Amino acid sequence: MRKILFDRIDEPGLNTLAVYERRGGYGALRKALRMTREEVLDELLTSGIRGRGGAGFQMGKKVSFLPKGDMDKFLVCNADESEPGTFKDRELMQKSPHMLVEGIVIAAYAGGIDHSFIYIRGEYDYQADILDAAIEEARAAGYLGERILDSDFSLSLVLHRGAGAYICGEETGLLDSLEGKRGNPRLKPPFPAVEGLYDSPTLINNVETLSTVPHIITMGGAEYAKIGTETSTGTKLVSVSGDVKRPGNYEIELGIPSRQIIYELAGGPLDGREIKLWFPGGSSAPVLTADDLDIPYDFDSLAKAGTMLGSGAIIVVDDSHPVLEVAMKLAKFYAHESCGKCVPCREGTNWTVKMLERIDSGEATPMDLDIMASVQEQIIGNCLCVLGDAMAMPIGSMIEKYRPELEAHIEAARERAGSGALEDVVAIGVADASAGPMPVH
Amino acid sequence: MSPRRSREAALEPAPSDWDTPALPPVPRFGHGSRVPGWDDAVDLTKEPAVVPDLATTPVPEGLRQEIEDAMARYPDRRSASIPALHAAQEEHGWCSPQAIDQVAAVMGVTPAYLTSVATFYDMLVTHPKGRNDVFVCTNISCSLRGADELYEAMLDAAAENPDVDVRSFECLGACDIAPMASVNGEYVGPLEPADAERIVADLRAGRPVLEEKQLRRRPSADPEAR
Amino acid sequence: MPRPEPKIIQLTIDGREVQAPQGEMLVEAARLGDIEIPYFCFERKLGNPVGACRMCLVEIEGIPKLQTSCSTPVKDGMVVHTQTQRVRGAQHAIVEFLLVNHPLDCPVCDKGGECPLQDITFGWGGGRSRFIEPKRHFVKPLALSPLVAIDRERCILCYRCVRFSQEIAEDYQLIFAERGAHTFVATHYGHPYVAPFSGNIIELCPVGALTSQPYRFRARPWDIEDAGGVCTLCPAQCNVSFTVRDEKVMRVLAREHPEVDDGWLCDKGRFAYQAIHVDERITAPMVREGGTLREASWERAFEVAAGLADHRGRVGALAGGGTSNEEGFLLTRLLREGLSSPDLDARVAGPVAPALARAVGAPALQATVTDLEFAHTVLVLGCEPQDDAPILDLRIRKGVRRHGVKLAVVTARPSALDPNATLAIRLAPGGEAAFLAELAGEVQGEGGSELARLLRDGGEDVVILWGERIGADALPHLLSIADRLGLRTREGAGLLEIPSTANGRGLREAGFLPDAGPGYAELPGELEGRCAAEMAAAAADRELTALYLFETDPVREHPDRTLWQRALDHAGLVVAHASVLTEGIREHADVVFPAESHAEKEGTVVHPDGRLQRLRVAIAHPHEVRAGWSVIAELARRMGHDLGVTSSAGAFEQLVDVVPFYAGLTLDELAGRGARWPARAQAAAFPVEAAAAAPASPSAPAFPPPGPVAESDVTAIPPPGPVADAERDAVPAAPAVPARNGTFRLGVHRPIWASPDVEVSPALKFCIARQHAELSPDDARRLGVTGGDTVEVASNGTAVQATVAVHSGVPAGTVFLADGLAENSANAFTDFEVEVRKP
Repeated sequence: MRKILFDRIDEPGLNTLAVYERRGGYGALRKALRMTREEVLDELLTSGIRGRGGAGFQMGKKVSFLPKGDMDKFLVCNADESEPGTFKDRELMQKSPHMLVEGIVIAAYAGGIDHSFIYIRGEYDYQADILDAAIEEARAAGYLGERILDSDFSLSLVLHRGAGAYICGEETGLLDSLEGKRGNPRLKPPFPAVEGLYDSPTLINNVETLSTVPHIITMGGAEYAKIGTETSTGTKLVSVSGDVKRPGNYEIELGIPSRQIIYELAGGPLDGREIKLWFPGGSSAPVLTADDLDIPYDFDSLAKAGTMLGSGAIIVVDDSHPVLEVAMKLAKFYAHESCGKCVPCREGTNWTVKMLERIDSGEATPMDLDIMASVQEQIIGNCLCVLGDAMAMPIGSMIEKYRPELEAHIEAARERAGSGALEDVVAIGVADASAGPMPVH
Repeated sequence: MSPRRSREAALEPAPSDWDTPALPPVPRFGHGSRVPGWDDAVDLTKEPAVVPDLATTPVPEGLRQEIEDAMARYPDRRSASIPALHAAQEEHGWCSPQAIDQVAAVMGVTPAYLTSVATFYDMLVTHPKGRNDVFVCTNISCSLRGADELYEAMLDAAAENPDVDVRSFECLGACDIAPMASVNGEYVGPLEPADAERIVADLRAGRPVLEEKQLRRRPSADPEAR
Repeated sequence: MPRPEPKIIQLTIDGREVQAPQGEMLVEAARLGDIEIPYFCFERKLGNPVGACRMCLVEIEGIPKLQTSCSTPVKDGMVVHTQTQRVRGAQHAIVEFLLVNHPLDCPVCDKGGECPLQDITFGWGGGRSRFIEPKRHFVKPLALSPLVAIDRERCILCYRCVRFSQEIAEDYQLIFAERGAHTFVATHYGHPYVAPFSGNIIELCPVGALTSQPYRFRARPWDIEDAGGVCTLCPAQCNVSFTVRDEKVMRVLAREHPEVDDGWLCDKGRFAYQAIHVDERITAPMVREGGTLREASWERAFEVAAGLADHRGRVGALAGGGTSNEEGFLLTRLLREGLSSPDLDARVAGPVAPALARAVGAPALQATVTDLEFAHTVLVLGCEPQDDAPILDLRIRKGVRRHGVKLAVVTARPSALDPNATLAIRLAPGGEAAFLAELAGEVQGEGGSELARLLRDGGEDVVILWGERIGADALPHLLSIADRLGLRTREGAGLLEIPSTANGRGLREAGFLPDAGPGYAELPGELEGRCAAEMAAAAADRELTALYLFETDPVREHPDRTLWQRALDHAGLVVAHASVLTEGIREHADVVFPAESHAEKEGTVVHPDGRLQRLRVAIAHPHEVRAGWSVIAELARRMGHDLGVTSSAGAFEQLVDVVPFYAGLTLDELAGRGARWPARAQAAAFPVEAAAAAPASPSAPAFPPPGPVAESDVTAIPPPGPVADAERDAVPAAPAVPARNGTFRLGVHRPIWASPDVEVSPALKFCIARQHAELSPDDARRLGVTGGDTVEVASNGTAVQATVAVHSGVPAGTVFLADGLAENSANAFTDFEVEVRKP
């Protein structure tokens, strides 16, 4: 399969400027600087590349939303890779940091931006050191700073290390965090393209997206658009993890069958195990079952299947794990990472954890599954940012798709805990519900 | 992941000289959030915490320099709060009230501002802890591969060692080496529960941790990419 | 700066056509159409919405997701639904989520009955909950400060209190700690939330999480009545609402007046109401018998006070800041007409010649409070808004934060506004006049200092907020600066004076001056009297033999306490109106009439920007207290002089008749919001000198600046107060005046808490102002002292004890002390070269 980002990624010393340049590195930047900003932007638009961070929004369009004019504009590279199951940016930054730096400079040029930041999650200590060294090298070589390569274009680049908060991967949470505050997401509108970092227009892109930019300029947007499907162009790094034989990052052409990724590349489930469910795009994506393995792996096909490509992280769960275990891990994760700003997410994630715990301790009835499903619905669409939805969607999908297993789990847990026969309890519950509204609490 | 207060402590009424009548302690539920601070009144004998005066707040020279360098990198000095708190944590071992006062004095912000930032982020710690950080990922991909057992083993291995601070952590972005841990920033995996003892021993001896399992040495999984 | 003038647009909400200003947030626009959208986190006063509570979600046609109406500006033709199934579902969900952890302890909650969460649960909740897990429980309530109790179980994390602390008061002491469901409202490391405006968070809290320690469990909403009033504890004159139960003030809330207080209160205004109902309060007349003051009948008190008639021609009168226009006016009549005594003064900052006072008081020069918010540049000159008129501090912050006002601070003492200032300049104490003289030269022409350029080139709308205590010498320069900047001709520009007492402006306009009558009218020569400092000297020399102290104690309030003590000691008769026995009253008054509190008084006062505001009776007079106007009128009658008033309103009519620029004002016109006289047509009758009224030309400033004017007009006596004294060798803009021979230059300020009302209010005991010697770090090191140590500040045999406070903002060679204190007050000094030593 065609390798663009991962082309000879393990070449020793690729993280240094010498090796990167020897392989033609920064050639794309030289080419871009000979073009006008509009021409560079055109190439990005033509390439049709969609954001690799999660939302899948067309990158070229994002750049074109920036207002023209002389005001301060910022580019922020989102390297806060925290979506469970995702680790592609880590490998890219560690092994080919200059590719990212070059992509940032080109994208900033296209957007008329003069200040840029990389917000890297604090846990990526080693990768941050590598990037710091690369930025220093690039600056010394004239690829960054004042009058880049003797053009009129200047750009500063600062690496900012986070301190451990999933919500800072959300673009506006990231901006607040970069401004030195708690990483609470902001209300949108205004969108970052209009009012972002320090209230100035800001372009925010993921590491993988920006790392692709030099390749788009080198090969031309039209050529890049030929890879993949019509609406999901290019190649994508997919992080495969969980119950597979060969977990890791694989660069694929968008649109290949999911089965091919899980079975051929990642080696399929462990011996003697069957795939029970899988997350196609990080833990925030609604789960798919073993029946869905033939869905083509691209943005639109997955959206049509009621889930999403997200960050491009496939998590495989085999039949040795109860669904409840997966749901509990997720709910606890999102409750822990909820920033607490808006009510439905803060209270909804918390409540969901309590209900799941009750299932496990044998204090639940199948009616609780209905309540839980309804709580997820009450979260979806009512929150300030997408974190609440990111829990509610997969949990909702698990209740919907694995209800018989969850009911069996409830029954077994009740038996274990000696909570009494289910039929009696359910009967009482029904009688209650028909009695009309209860007083509050 | 937050430090837990013992249940007994939670049952004690918080020390407060504000509410004078001595009522018998009310039994409280022991469940729910047990974040320290929830049950704490302020100390009315303290002065309000305004921006500390740098002239009267001694700050180690190196720390001060580091914070000032960080502030110089951004258009707004407040952007330096995370790097500055990182530096102070490095200096003091944790974000102690004293450490926060020092950062506040250099940055010209209130200590409360920094407290609100420090308590938001998992890597900034506002209670005393061991110098060595072991973050065991217990999120979904790692837990599918046995991270919870690893975490327990790690806790046991470090139980006698106050210098090693073991915490379960959310996804650290290395599910390809699940189950894994970050030891002072060095990613190692895939780990067996038996590796826990090795990690503690390596830390104690001051040598690189589990060299053969370090992520930085691992080639790409994609066979065509090498 | 141009102010927003929004266009009115039309939108449809629930099928109803609603007209609203464009850009108004939907939640507010809906209210204009009588449609209520519930919310918790939204509060207009707090600025930009946060959208955290999600209670105000509505459906807007054309937008697929529900939108928060608190953050959606209305547009023409917008179609909104607030009653659909979807919206209701979301509202039910949010209420259910909020009640997941909110305890249902409403029966024992202080907020019960006036709680938005209660109301919204009833109005928009689903009526049932499916949450059967046990709720979280915490120790409660806990102290957040001596004034505020916090109940973290009840907190719904709506952000209002922390936004207030962070974005309005900008003290940034109150924060959210931790994350997610663990989040809680906290301070740093157990420090109390003590700040001048902290009480506002109680009023902002939409649940019972933040409650007032003094008000907790004192009343239920159905026990109380609200009475509108005006706080006269400082010149800011915030509009308040007294919560009254059984003729007692239980609480003070803000009564939002956008042109006065913007809906906020300082903690003094909010909590010092307690002084109304304390044992220390004087509630019956007192007469000195056998050397001590004893309660007496009104009859007896009047009899003694009527002895003033024996001192005809030799009575001096002082009035305090709480004195209403009517009381002040009647008192001038009593003194001038009844006692032929022209010695009247209400100013503690020293005299200003009438011509000069008229010039700076000219209507065209007066800026408003709102102008502070929309000016291009605000210059804070010789005052500390946070202490002198606290609410203006918030207004200036708002202007800087939201409208990009550029702020310059020119003061001797470091100001709380320094961090917000584009430019902060430190003067030597008392150096204002010299500084302004130089600045006046610089604003003319081009170039000049950074400040001159900022004022001249930073936009036409410049507002100069100045404190009365900068002294008369500085005013001619201030006037020429104003004229050279063209402030007279600009609508949103001008001067705004903070008088040194609450109704200082009103008393001057009512003619409570030694050298001008009501409306600054010129007085015939025989009616020219002495200013306060001269009165003190004259009484000490037994030239004045009686003193009338209306709600003031000069030993405490005026400069040179020793001289005043001697003056009161030598006076044959001292008549006082007082509510607390402060030192001078306790030791020297022969008769004390019980004074009214601001919740009992009826009358009018004048705001620094010329707004006449009405004081209304909120509670009945306690015990034997009588209205101040009636006491003056009765006393006059007993001395054979009928003032012809039978009510406070009658006195107001008399005042309006004699002050030409008040002409035609009625109490009805003042009802509710008051009225700014400089904005009325009758302001033309203000007696402005011809030269000052003419548009200024840079070459011919309205007032000839420097020296001689000040010399001749400020009279021959040594001017009191630090101003003139330090002026001799003032170093303009000097950050550091090195201490000479180990002496320090003394700067004096009056803290917000330096007030007898604060001292007797139980809730405010913790913040009673104590003497601090503010020193620079270098000086502290040299003296071998650190913060918290005790030092002695001394000069000419007078010494006061003070606790050291070290601030790097204090210029070396200077020490700052507070005055207006009960003990160790800086008004003990007459020399402003002092020594600082370890005791």
